[in-house]
Amino acid sequence: MILICKLLRRHVSVLQLAGFLLANLLGMLIVLLSIQFYQDVRPLFGQEDGIIKPDYMIVNKQVGALDALGLGNSTFTDAEIQDLRQQPFCKRADGFVSSQYKVSCSLGFEGGMSMGTALFFESVPSEYVDVSREEWRFDAGNPVIPIILPRNYLSVYNFGFASSQSLPKITESMAGMIDLNVRMSAGARSQTMRARVVGFSSRINTILVPESFMKWSNALLAPDVHPQPSRLIVEVGNPADDAIVTYLENHHYELEQDTLDSGRITYFLKVLTALVVGVGLLISALSFYILMLSIYLLVQKNTEKLRNLLLLGYTPWQVGAPYQCLAVGANALVLALAVGLVWLVRHHYMEMLWNMFPQMEEVSMWPTFFVGLALFLLVALVDVVAVHRKVMAIWYRKE
Amino acid sequence: MQTITLHHLLPAVFAGRTDLQSELWEQDLVLERGRLYLVEAQSGKGKSSFCSYLMGYRQDYSGQICFDSTDARQLSVREWSRLRTHSISTLFQELRLFPELTALENVLIKNQLTRHKTVAQICQWFEAMGIGDRIDTLVSRMSFGQQQRVAMIRALVQPMDFLLLDEPVSHLDDENAAAMAETMMQEVRSQGAAVVVTSIGKHMKLPYNQTIRL
Repeated sequence: MILICKLLRRHVSVLQLAGFLLANLLGMLIVLLSIQFYQDVRPLFGQEDGIIKPDYMIVNKQVGALDALGLGNSTFTDAEIQDLRQQPFCKRADGFVSSQYKVSCSLGFEGGMSMGTALFFESVPSEYVDVSREEWRFDAGNPVIPIILPRNYLSVYNFGFASSQSLPKITESMAGMIDLNVRMSAGARSQTMRARVVGFSSRINTILVPESFMKWSNALLAPDVHPQPSRLIVEVGNPADDAIVTYLENHHYELEQDTLDSGRITYFLKVLTALVVGVGLLISALSFYILMLSIYLLVQKNTEKLRNLLLLGYTPWQVGAPYQCLAVGANALVLALAVGLVWLVRHHYMEMLWNMFPQMEEVSMWPTFFVGLALFLLVALVDVVAVHRKVMAIWYRKE
Repeated sequence: MQTITLHHLLPAVFAGRTDLQSELWEQDLVLERGRLYLVEAQSGKGKSSFCSYLMGYRQDYSGQICFDSTDARQLSVREWSRLRTHSISTLFQELRLFPELTALENVLIKNQLTRHKTVAQICQWFEAMGIGDRIDTLVSRMSFGQQQRVAMIRALVQPMDFLLLDEPVSHLDDENAAAMAETMMQEVRSQGAAVVVTSIGKHMKLPYNQTIRL
């Protein structure tokens, strides 16, 4: 193999190879860096809380003076929900179902102290909730109610209640370990169960329980009540679509929090990232083209040598191997350099971001690495096949 | 492989010619392992084409070539590669050496593939053929006669049933040609292989079993 390499490395143009390495490194760096940057800054837009998926909006009717007097109607009719579902921007819309019974919840601390509060429950279809199926399920045979709480409840407890009462602060993971006692009652019927917090959401201001539990408990405690929803959860394709704002204004609906604005920012971030990734891919594709051209040229210049090796009994794979190693090696080097550079650049911008947003959580670099690896494998495969085809053309005397 | 059988073999360029008087083209001929054949012809009668067909380098012929009972046209790329390293060895008329490698490297590049001889055995052959002092010389700096001997050594570093020599001594004096023939015959006899020598006049002096006129 050493002799073959010695023989075939003639005509390798260092300049062409360096040109490819630089161009491909630039392309790969742009692709990987933009993907990594997107992943790093996406949580900052408040859209991602790991509980409610990002393209969902929560819609309610504007509360007017009549509602305050108890004369208005802030619930959605079936016709209104159906109309919203038929809008082109809407992928899916469902109502919040609320508990039709009283709920009180208590928790005890060691030392005998306990606290309790009146609550309410709401549910949305499970498809909107990004919690594992195993955690977000209710089994009437072994009843523990999974609950998702608004994240600011935890802040109120930690920074308001706990500090004033000298109680320990609770982290999100600790909250999941606390057993809550829930008592539900409606008229003469009542039910006591245990509940467990499975997550906190900053995007949804309600106490969320699984849809299956809501159906079960409403059927058990308030079988005759069938209320209309007062809030809707809506999945949209493009949060930046102007038609959404127009539709909401025309129907006097409003959005909870700034879901649409941050949805738009995320959407633009996605578009921008896609554009930058596209430019990076284009540069990578062009540099790959340069590499293939220079290898083709190299094979062309060494055609006679390759033919002689084949006539001596070398197989086409053995003869193509030095060029395949060269191409795959060059691409592997580019991948290694690009990942290293992404790490370096990221190290710098993350320091800046942490200064600005101390609560920011670090995101793994693995997905970016795997994208780079996938690109590398694709290019390596094309390289290997292209060189082999070229050698086979020499075998069949088409070169 | 015991035999190479030719059935009405004819190069495509000779198709339609009625004036061919050949003991090989368009004849039925069997070449057997262990025998010595001389193929004699003038230039342009298709000697090199004949070698190319047996090596699988060209297939522009009509008729049939069979290695034992296998039609040469049915061989896969991998089978041809194996044939070229284990059954049929060739000394090409144009030698096909690599000018950027030394004489020894030109032989080793084949021997690395077959692992048939030791470097010491190869060096002995260089000595026997009178080019022991040129072993580390770039082939491009050797005379054509010396290059012919390097090509012969390269042809010998593999297991073989048939050895094709396409005008092997065209640039050698009688003494060097005899030295080359002696070394070659020692290896050929030890392997029990057949030798097919082509010649346009000056030919290697061997006890041929059959002379075929193209």
